[in-house]
Amino acid sequence: MNAVRIAWRVTRLNFRAQLEYRTEFLLMIAIGAIWQVSVIVFATVLLTRFTGMGGWDSSEVLLIPATRMLAHGLFVLVLGRVHLVGRQIQEGKIDTYLLRPMPVHRQVQLAFFPTNAIGDLTVAVGLMAGALSRSNLDWTPGRISYLIAAILGGMLLEAALFTGVASACLRFPAADYWGRWLEELLGTFGSYPLNVLPKAVGGFLTYGLPLAFVAYFPAAILTGHGHDTGVPYWLAALSPLLGVLAYLGARLLWRWSLRHYTGVNG
Amino acid sequence: MDAGIEVRGLSRTFHTTVRRPGFTGALRSLVNPERVAKHAVSDVSFDVSPGELLALLGPNGAGKSTTIKILTGILTPTSGEARVAGVVPYEERERNARNIGAVFGQRTQLWWDLPVRESFAILRDIYEVPKAEHAARLKEFDDLLDLSSFWDTRVRHLSLGQRVRSDLAAALLHDPPVVFLDEPTIGMDVVVKEQVREFLRYQVEERGRTVLLTTHDMTEVERLSERVVLINHGRLVLDGSLDEIRRTFGSTWQVRATLADAHTDVAGLPGIAVLRHDGPQVVFGPDGPDAPTVHQALKAVIERYEVTGIAIDEADLEDVMRAAYVHAEAI
Repeated sequence: MNAVRIAWRVTRLNFRAQLEYRTEFLLMIAIGAIWQVSVIVFATVLLTRFTGMGGWDSSEVLLIPATRMLAHGLFVLVLGRVHLVGRQIQEGKIDTYLLRPMPVHRQVQLAFFPTNAIGDLTVAVGLMAGALSRSNLDWTPGRISYLIAAILGGMLLEAALFTGVASACLRFPAADYWGRWLEELLGTFGSYPLNVLPKAVGGFLTYGLPLAFVAYFPAAILTGHGHDTGVPYWLAALSPLLGVLAYLGARLLWRWSLRHYTGVNG
Repeated sequence: MDAGIEVRGLSRTFHTTVRRPGFTGALRSLVNPERVAKHAVSDVSFDVSPGELLALLGPNGAGKSTTIKILTGILTPTSGEARVAGVVPYEERERNARNIGAVFGQRTQLWWDLPVRESFAILRDIYEVPKAEHAARLKEFDDLLDLSSFWDTRVRHLSLGQRVRSDLAAALLHDPPVVFLDEPTIGMDVVVKEQVREFLRYQVEERGRTVLLTTHDMTEVERLSERVVLINHGRLVLDGSLDEIRRTFGSTWQVRATLADAHTDVAGLPGIAVLRHDGPQVVFGPDGPDAPTVHQALKAVIERYEVTGIAIDEADLEDVMRAAYVHAEAI
C-alpha cells in the first residue's frame, strides 16, 4: 500500500513540476502528437483513397492503428521510462536507484512525468473514436472487453520488448540503439494488416519481433479475420494473454540483468 | 546491530575488449576480439569500527569508487566478502539500503525537477520515517547546514554547494548507522567545505555514525579522520593511523635554529643531520631510518645548543600522501 502511495505522490509531484514550465509542457504534448503524424497520414490516406487493404475494409483496418496507438500511449504513460534506461545508466542514475530500498524498475518509472504521453494518447483516443464510429461491428460487452484486454495486452507486449532492451542495456549500454530501431519498426509496421506484407516479413513480425500480437491479431479476431492470419486462431485470440506472459518474462530478465549490473566508470 | 564495516579479500574484475590501434586494428578487434581482465579491486581487506570515520584514499582509478559501490550494494564482487552493519550488501540490497546513507559528490539522489523539501518528503515515505521524527531531524540538519534558505528551490536550480548539502541531508534523514561519502566536497568553495566538514564531524562524534570517506582533499582527511586506508591499482597498500603514516612517509621535518654564538662548533645529533649551516643559522633534518620525531629533535637541539630562536617546518599531509603514493607505485 505504501508503494502505491509513494508512486502516486511522486507522479503527482512530477506532473505538477512539469506544469510549472508551461512552454516546455505544451511543447512536449505537441511533440507527442506530432510524433504520430505517420499514423495520422496513414489513417487519412486509408479512409480517403482506399476502400480496404488485404481483404479488410478501411474501417476494419483503422482498428489496427487505433489499438496499437492506444496501447502505445498507455505504455508511454505507465511504463515508458524503461525506454531511457540506457541514458540513466550513463548518467549514473541507476547507481542512485540501487541505493534506495525500493525496486529499481519502479524508480525508473517514477523518474519524471511523461508529458508527451498526453499527446500520444490524444491522437490515440481520436483515432479509436474514429475507428469505432466507422465500424460496422456489433460492439457487444464481450467484444468491448476483448478490445480493452487487447489494448492492455498490447501495452504490456510493447513494455516487454523495451524492458528486454533495457535489460540488455544493464549489461551492454550500447544496446540502447536497439531500442531506437525497435521504436522505428513498431511505428512503421504497426498500422498494417500484416497479410499485405511478404510472408517472410510477416513471419518475422509474428515470431521474431511479435508485433502482430500487439494489434493485428486482436483486430483480426474482433473483425472476423481471425482464421486468415497465418497462425492458429487460438494463438491469435490469446494475444492479450501473451502480452501479460511476455511482460512477466521480461521482468524476470530485468531482475537477472540487474544482478549482473556493472555500471559505468568502474 | 553492529554498525561497522567488514571487508575480507574483496576483489572485483571487469572484462574489457582491447582496442587495437588503427582501422585494421579495429576490424581485427571486431573479428577476433581480445578480452582482458581488469582487476579494479584485488584482495582488499579492512574494517571500520562503529562510530569511526575512515578515509579511503588513493590516486584516480585506484579502486576506491568500485569498493564503495560494492559496499553500497551497487556492484557484486567477483570474490571475497563484505558486511555493512551485519548485512551482505550485494545479497540483500534493499535491507542494506535502509542501513546506509550515501553521497556521491558528482551526482544527486534528489528529484531534479522537484523542490528539495519535496524530495525529502518522498524519501521520508520510502524509508517509512515517522513524521515527527522526520521533522525533528530536518530541523537539526537545517541548523547545521542552513537548508531552509533554499529548500523550496528545485534541485535543478541549486548551486553545487546547496545541492551537496541537500544530498547530505537526504542521505541521513532515515538515520542510517553507516554513511558512505565519495568525494562529497569536490568543487565546493572553502566556506561550504568547512560547513560540510563540521556537519560530518558532528555526525561521527555526536551521532556515532560509521563513515567511509573518499577524497583527494588532504585538509579534509586531516580534519576528519584519524585512520586512513590507501589503495592503489586495486590493492591495499597501507592501513594505519595518520600518525603512523606520517612516521612512515612524512619524516621530512626541518628544525631551523638561530644560535646565540655564531662561532659555535655545530655537529649532528643521533638521528639528526645538519642540512645547512650559515653563520648563526642552522637547519637540522632527519638522518636515517631511526630519526626522531620533530618534537624529539626540537628538544634535542635546545638541550645541546644555546639558541635565541627556533622554528619547525613539518611536511603537511599532502606531502606525506604524495610520498605514500610514490611508494605505492614502486611496490
